[in-house]
Amino acid sequence: MSPKLLTLGFADQLTSVEVDVPAGEPPPWDGVSSLEVVGQPVPRIDGHLKVSGQAVYTFDVRLPGMLWAAVLRCPLPCARIKSISLGRAEKAPGVKAAMLLAQRGDRIVFAGQDIAAVAAERPELARDALAAIEVEYEALPFVVDTRSAAKPGAPMVHEAAVRTRKTEGDEPSAATAAGSEGNVRKMPDSRRGDASKALKKAAFVHEASYSTQVQTHSALETHGIVVRWDAKDKLTAWCSTQGIFSVRDELAEIFTLPVANIRVITDFIGGGFGAKFGASAPGTRLGFIAAELARKAGAPVKLMCTRHEEHVCTGNRPDSYQDVRIGGDAAGRLVAVHVRSIGTAGIGTGAGIGRNAFSVYTKIPHVLVEASDVFTNAGPGTAMRAPGHPQGAFAIELAIDELARTMKADSLRLRIAHDEHPVRKWQFQQGAERFGWTEARAKSAAARGKATRLRTGVGVAASIWGDFGRGGAAQVTVTIGRDATVEVKNGVQDIGTGIGTVIAQVAAEVLSRPVESITVRIGRSEHGPSVGSGGSTTTSSVTPAVRNAVEQAKTQLLALAGELFGVAPREVVWGPDGTASGGGKSLTFAALCKKLPGEAIVTTATRAKTFGHHPMSFMGQPMQQIAGVQFAEVEVDTWTGLVRATRVLAMHDCGRVMNELTCRSQINGGIILGTSYALLEERVLDRDFGRMLNANLDFYKIAGAKDVPEIEVVLTDVYVGNNSTGAVGIGEPSTIPTAAAIACAVYDALGVPVRSLPITPAKILAALGRVPGAGVPT
Amino acid sequence: MTSPTLTRRGLLRGAGTASVLASCAKPNADDASNAPAVSDATAPAEIGPGAVSVAFNLNGKPATVQVEPRVTLLDALRIDLGVTGPKLVCDRGACGACTVLVDGRPRNACMMLAHDVAGANVTTIEGLGAGDSPSALQAAFVRHDALQCGFCTSGMLTSCAALLQRIGPNGAKLTAQTVREAISGNLCRCGTYPHVVAAVLEVAGATPLSKAAVTP
Repeated sequence: MSPKLLTLGFADQLTSVEVDVPAGEPPPWDGVSSLEVVGQPVPRIDGHLKVSGQAVYTFDVRLPGMLWAAVLRCPLPCARIKSISLGRAEKAPGVKAAMLLAQRGDRIVFAGQDIAAVAAERPELARDALAAIEVEYEALPFVVDTRSAAKPGAPMVHEAAVRTRKTEGDEPSAATAAGSEGNVRKMPDSRRGDASKALKKAAFVHEASYSTQVQTHSALETHGIVVRWDAKDKLTAWCSTQGIFSVRDELAEIFTLPVANIRVITDFIGGGFGAKFGASAPGTRLGFIAAELARKAGAPVKLMCTRHEEHVCTGNRPDSYQDVRIGGDAAGRLVAVHVRSIGTAGIGTGAGIGRNAFSVYTKIPHVLVEASDVFTNAGPGTAMRAPGHPQGAFAIELAIDELARTMKADSLRLRIAHDEHPVRKWQFQQGAERFGWTEARAKSAAARGKATRLRTGVGVAASIWGDFGRGGAAQVTVTIGRDATVEVKNGVQDIGTGIGTVIAQVAAEVLSRPVESITVRIGRSEHGPSVGSGGSTTTSSVTPAVRNAVEQAKTQLLALAGELFGVAPREVVWGPDGTASGGGKSLTFAALCKKLPGEAIVTTATRAKTFGHHPMSFMGQPMQQIAGVQFAEVEVDTWTGLVRATRVLAMHDCGRVMNELTCRSQINGGIILGTSYALLEERVLDRDFGRMLNANLDFYKIAGAKDVPEIEVVLTDVYVGNNSTGAVGIGEPSTIPTAAAIACAVYDALGVPVRSLPITPAKILAALGRVPGAGVPT
Repeated sequence: MTSPTLTRRGLLRGAGTASVLASCAKPNADDASNAPAVSDATAPAEIGPGAVSVAFNLNGKPATVQVEPRVTLLDALRIDLGVTGPKLVCDRGACGACTVLVDGRPRNACMMLAHDVAGANVTTIEGLGAGDSPSALQAAFVRHDALQCGFCTSGMLTSCAALLQRIGPNGAKLTAQTVREAISGNLCRCGTYPHVVAAVLEVAGATPLSKAAVTP
């Protein structure tokens, strides 16, 4: 460790901060580093492959003799298998292998669970063969509704204790269970002060229930894997995954293989959003099935989920039912929050509600957040872009707005007064001005007063996330050849953020070389250990390792130049085009590389643990708290109940912006996903039959081009001093506040809240009292 | 791998090929404007259930594929012809990821049978330009970052190419709303729509959208 004085902060709030930088780390890029390539809107380096159909996704992999697998799934939400047999499936046309995935006597716990599988010469032949498999089920009592499942006496979903399943998509600091009763499994509380006592004394108390729906990830490329056995104990897997090494490890465990004998390839992946970790999906053993069928058939097997399977058994964002009490005092301060929440991750775990209620408005002295998982007979939930957070943000932000009205307080000022994060306070203030907050609020109030048909409203909400970038996880190898080629290798997958492009930018920056002269090799396990694309950690885990490895290679080049020039390496000047000079001599980059004594310089490096977190830590841990704020405007037709999100202003901090163009793309994506969650998406399970009614993309609505608001993104460079590049994540923070801001905007437009997502026309009309005899549907 | 015994399927396959090839040899002379659903009036009323040959033009070159009548155009392209640009996402015409041009019109390849395009001109993303010499639209998609994971991109770009063809010389009048209409059948989960609209407007020579701000 050596203390270094860094210029940290943001905008006009830059200060000198002493940071202990671990040995071996180059001086971190900070607020006074002037960078040429990093941060620039460099178009993604593999874009040409994606716009020409040449990018090969797992779904596109074609191998000689490859078979297609299909899986038979249980049609009942809870059942015992009375008898099961492959029947004529094994001999069906084109079938090369078949296997049972359940046995007589097994208890099946959701509609969609694995029963049997076949591999055939064509996908339609595989599907045909499934029809020949004979299974007799005994239907058992089940429950798919969260609140019914939580009641005493509800059918028990699991007969034995359930192990928490965690992936790299889960928030690294999230806790695990603290006890269970019936189908209810309690998570540890988040507590400060005494919320119950403070609420008893509060001058103003708002109490209401808020609910959010189950959302499915709906990545366009479904979960899938292609497995080829290269030898008895050696295989190659092409997998649509966010975590190449999680796929390798799972296959190694299933088949007891050394990890070195498994190659995983993910050159391209068609979206993941948190559900694609491991060789299997949360509710179906894809990796095992494909590999076992391939072993039996002696041929490569491709197993891609259908859209129906993707909806029912590959994960989802759990729902939530949150009872919120929030209190304020006579002086206009918020004094206490109590949230009690239940939610279902189906047969799985992880229905938390994130950090917003506890950790954003930290000047609220008394807070208690209680959350429980409720098991239901439905496909397991799993991490989805900022697990828990959009749910929690929706309830707390709308509750604050409702209390603010009772207290006759300005909801924006209330937020700023109770938030201690300097970046977020700045974002609230700057954003309000830019968005025209005051004028917009006055306008919506006037329209409410006149009871016009069309109303507009605006709302604002906050985002919180942590800089979970990992030290020691990504090993990056840099090769600089005698022919002046620069190759950067790491086994990270590009989930769509353009990590390869940012890798090239960092290498180009250090060497003062053009981006297009850098060759980036990613997407394969043989390129070296890396992180999964989860927790918004990829850029912050990988780019510092890239910088460190390239700096080491550059040090060797400087030493070589010094030797050639007859001067000390530190006297060699590295010019803006990569030309080295010293002692009155100079060599271009190409000329210097030609003088290499061997074929190439090869360096490998990782990054240290996060070593700084200016200006604000996350949950008291030694890492940066990432701040964000979004303002939303909606238009509501009070006759039809239709809501349109018309405008979103997103103010975000992602540490140092590495690529302005791709960063903006990610934030657009977070906002659009959040808009879709707020207004359109909902998994519908039939309570009588226990099956999903809309397991497709025509009745499970995701936002199309016409559902998207006008988006303005304001990026704020925040110099954190956390790692050698200063990157932190943005993928998850950018989707947290959108639905909450939209819900607050609807409340502003109507004067009555809609406390249930998605905000559909039916709920709007019910909230306005225009559905005779109906309350607010939930 | 294959069974040495002669099956009914194998017999049909052998018998079907010659006769159907003959019927397809006659090019479809119909004017594209009065043939919205591509069909060959001379084709037999009933074929199959075994694989039967069908011929059409694919990205400017003749292509022949032998598939069961139930096989979709998308599966024939992807599985039999190795043209994997168009993607299968929803399998029911809801998402547009499989969009191809059939005689110049954008169509969902998952909603057509391979035998529907007998004699027609089929253009996939691969036919719109190659990686080394991208069309202006493809280059604009890259420049504007109108793609993230890229899985919707083939269909999205094909729909946009069809829009630019339809609008012809009136590109300057193109509005963002029209572009959104044109891609309303193309779903994207990463949220690329704003950048797609910007890319298309630029190529059309229309007024660009305002850019997001970067501070400080």
